Amino acid sequence: MAITHTNRSNQDDTRDGRLFAPCRARCPIHVDVPGYLAAIAEGRFMDALEIILARNPLPSVCGRVCLRPCEDGCRRCLLDEPVAIAALKRAAADTGVYPAPRLARRIPGRIAIVGGGPAGLTAAHDLAALGLSVSIYEDKPRLGGMLRYGIPNYRLPDYALDRDIEYVLSHGIEAHTGVRIGRDITIEELSAQYDAVLVTVGLQDSRALPIPGADKPRVLKALPFLEACANGESMDLGARVVVIGGGNVAMDVARAARRHHAKEVRVVCLESRDTMPAAAHEIHDAEMEGITVHCSWGPREITGENMVEGLRAVRCERVFDLERRFAPVFDEETVNEFAADTIIFAIGQGPDIDELGLPVTFRNSIMVDPVDLKTSVAGVYAAGDIINGPTKIIDAIASGHRAAASIFRDLTGHGDTLESLDQESAVLGRVPDTMAAKVETRRRIQMERLEHWDAILNFDEVELGYTEFEASREAQRCLSCTAGARLAVEKCASCLTCTRVCPHGAACLNMGGYLYFEVEACHACGACVSQCPAQAINLETVSEEDLSRRVQRKLADRGMDTSLVFSCGHVPDTLIEAGVDFRAVQVSCLLRVSERSVFEALEEGASRIVFTRCTEGDCRFPHAQDLVNKRIRHIRKMLSEAEMSEAFLVTTAPDEHFTTEVDTP
Amino acid sequence: MIVVRQKPLDEICAMIAGHRSVLLVGCNTCAAVSLAGGETEVDTLLQLLRLTNKRHGMFIELSPAVLQRQCEPEYIECLQEGAYDAVLSLGCGAGVALLASTVGKPVYPALDTLFIGSAKGLARWQAECSACGQCVLGMTAGICPITRCAKGILNGPCGGVSDGTCELGDRPCAWVEIYERLDSLGCAKKFDTILAPKDNTTRQICEWDMSEGCDEK
Ligand SMILES: Cc1cc2nc3c(=O)[nH]c(=O)nc-3n(C[C@H](O)[C@H](O)[C@H](O)COP(=O)(O)OP(=O)(O)OC[C@H]3O[C@@H](n4cnc5c(N)ncnc54)[C@H](O)[C@@H]3O)c2cc1C
Ligand code: SF4
Ligand code: SF4
Ligand code: SF4
Ligand code: SF4
Repeated sequence: MAITHTNRSNQDDTRDGRLFAPCRARCPIHVDVPGYLAAIAEGRFMDALEIILARNPLPSVCGRVCLRPCEDGCRRCLLDEPVAIAALKRAAADTGVYPAPRLARRIPGRIAIVGGGPAGLTAAHDLAALGLSVSIYEDKPRLGGMLRYGIPNYRLPDYALDRDIEYVLSHGIEAHTGVRIGRDITIEELSAQYDAVLVTVGLQDSRALPIPGADKPRVLKALPFLEACANGESMDLGARVVVIGGGNVAMDVARAARRHHAKEVRVVCLESRDTMPAAAHEIHDAEMEGITVHCSWGPREITGENMVEGLRAVRCERVFDLERRFAPVFDEETVNEFAADTIIFAIGQGPDIDELGLPVTFRNSIMVDPVDLKTSVAGVYAAGDIINGPTKIIDAIASGHRAAASIFRDLTGHGDTLESLDQESAVLGRVPDTMAAKVETRRRIQMERLEHWDAILNFDEVELGYTEFEASREAQRCLSCTAGARLAVEKCASCLTCTRVCPHGAACLNMGGYLYFEVEACHACGACVSQCPAQAINLETVSEEDLSRRVQRKLADRGMDTSLVFSCGHVPDTLIEAGVDFRAVQVSCLLRVSERSVFEALEEGASRIVFTRCTEGDCRFPHAQDLVNKRIRHIRKMLSEAEMSEAFLVTTAPDEHFTTEVDTP
Repeated sequence: MIVVRQKPLDEICAMIAGHRSVLLVGCNTCAAVSLAGGETEVDTLLQLLRLTNKRHGMFIELSPAVLQRQCEPEYIECLQEGAYDAVLSLGCGAGVALLASTVGKPVYPALDTLFIGSAKGLARWQAECSACGQCVLGMTAGICPITRCAKGILNGPCGGVSDGTCELGDRPCAWVEIYERLDSLGCAKKFDTILAPKDNTTRQICEWDMSEGCDEK
């Protein structure tokens, strides 16, 4: 696993001397997950988007269809459910506005990229941001690769893909579409014109089985079929479709066929139910859409006179041998015939690179050095599925970063950007039992989606995304692993207040009586920060200065009677309905708002400060709630001494009308 | 340590009224540990003063500083020279006094110094010692009658105790506690010793030099 970065600030890499939250460690490009989740928890979608874009130029895509290795590592897995890391990335991309590209000074150097899929787009983005001139050559009429012509629109609609592509191209990248390298222009010709050529052509050959009948009309292959779907072509598949294959692509094909009005769609695969390569949720979604899955059948013949009538298959007893090699064993006696009008092969994709004339491996993929991604032809590099085999988008992106870093280094001599994560970073361990016992259980927020019976009527996007409210609530589930309390030892007054307030015992004393924080036990509630008299503790993801800037920005255009609302999570609608003039600052716990911040906001010109949404039963930091109440009393006392009691309101219930003051218990 | 707490706001405002520029100085030792004089409290008070001044149409420039310990000259030397014409100290009495003798400008206390005490959990302290100069804790199982008995008597309890509670009603009777602890330690006999009146001249000690001794009269 390599860690590569672009010219953007890499201060996030030095965070905690490279102790990564497991989600971040498992992400092949090490996106700062706790960082962007903390931003979303505070409703700062723009900030979240910028944090993501620092490493992932395709957030709208990945927020929808990334296979999310990060979530398998989430420390919440053992408590309840992983945080919806990908869906929140989508929320950032959908809600935030893409920033203007940050471009380094132009430097000499021209790069040609062959193929406009995720690997090519990523490399193009990085190299253009570093100041080089980049041109993409793409065979198809539009950019996107499998994202556009493979993954169906109901999972990744064009508008969502186009947002990312526009952002990438805004870095000043030239795109030549409808140009097939190897046929229209050769690699040698490109090499002569450019300083480097990067080949990211993916796997464009859709495989089929050479069984009798496979040459009949209405025997299709996955990729051309999906491409026709992507192009909006109408197709007559007949009423019964059989899809051969057991992976995610087979599920996509089956679900797409269902949307072309096939009444009976069957997926027939070699593997048993538990060894099918398709993700469990993809199989589930397919079944919910009325598709039946038939496991452990080996196709033998496509039957029918001229037209397809069915698929004859025999029982498959085992797919792999003891050494995990593909060696299927069949029981030729147990035969089944699946009636069909159309049969679609979805048994895998392979390279289609003969025209390129580059040296290949025994698997017919382009041969490269795995570290610098150079082929044996000088100045030609390769990345993405064409070197990795069929993997996932995020691997293609990682590979694109790596190739870009390698090219940049070769052209300029700069940037030791190929450091390896595995060698240098540690990964935070699991949640200690003592802490687990005290973390509030909270299920993941389910995203709204089309009902299955509606979904199959067309190619409309099925998952509808989080509302801002849901997104912040979901992001608040994150434990902010590695992004919690930090101690500035030189400021500490050794008052031990932090050790007394921390519910998880994260603030500890060592044998010498010195304080330190146990990273594993901190979930960044901020209780200690709020109580420290010496301002010796910081939360990695939020600072008082940031809050102060946000307040200033909010109040910049205040009116004569503008209230400033601090809200735990999303600002309640009742405030908007109340028709009062207010500006809202969303925080992930009201403890982040100190007495000082309150007075400062009043001095900035807010006529009233409102604390809202600190509600029992809803709170994930019950210990903090007591402290919030204490702070409220303290602020009240101080403001009453200053004869300004009316300038501070607290509403507890989420639907409380905010002009009525409600005392917190 | 020395336990302090912030004075009422109007008292503080009255002291600094009339100055053009005031430096707020915290103390990162006892006052910080008392959660009354650290950087956080300096910032908070400063902000509150700004707000009240603005409301009253006054303008006093306020700036913050925190010293590691206000009762040490070397730490005070760290204080930046500045255009301030008065100092508001968020230290204990000793801090205020040393600042006042050093900075050559009026120095005002923002805190009241309460007692020498011990921590009793989060943001709570127990008064333990009144610095009387003649410690009797050895006879009283570590419970100070001068401090914790409302009357400060050396041979108690007085007749005001009822059910172990002081007649003031706000505290347990120190002498009952002394007896109970002595008893639990198996030295209830000590309770029979009548403690002699204390030599109050030790309370007059004004300076102490380890090698030279003090100027006790
Ligand atoms: C149906 C399907 C569904 C998938 N679903 C997911 C998913 O949900 N999540 C996930 O993470 N991954 C998924 N994948 C895998 C993912 O799409 C790929 O891993 C990824 O797209 C690979 O990126 P790439 O840039 O290497 O290649 P590609 O995306 O294949 O892009 C290569 C590009 O090069 C172009 N090209 C090829 N040859 C030439 C040439 N000679 N000249 C010019 N241009 C050329 C192609 O037209 C294409 O645009 C899916 C794949 C398929 C097929
Ligand atoms: S709780 Fe948050 S930071 Fe921790 S692993 Fe999960 S997503 Fe990452
Ligand atoms: S109090 Fe909260 S922020 Fe502070 S160390 Fe404990 S868990 Fe972390
Ligand atoms: S609360 Fe602050 S000053 Fe007190 S011990 Fe903790 S870090 Fe140090
Ligand atoms: S204590 Fe209150 S403000 Fe803080 S997280 Fe809980 S509900 Fe929100």
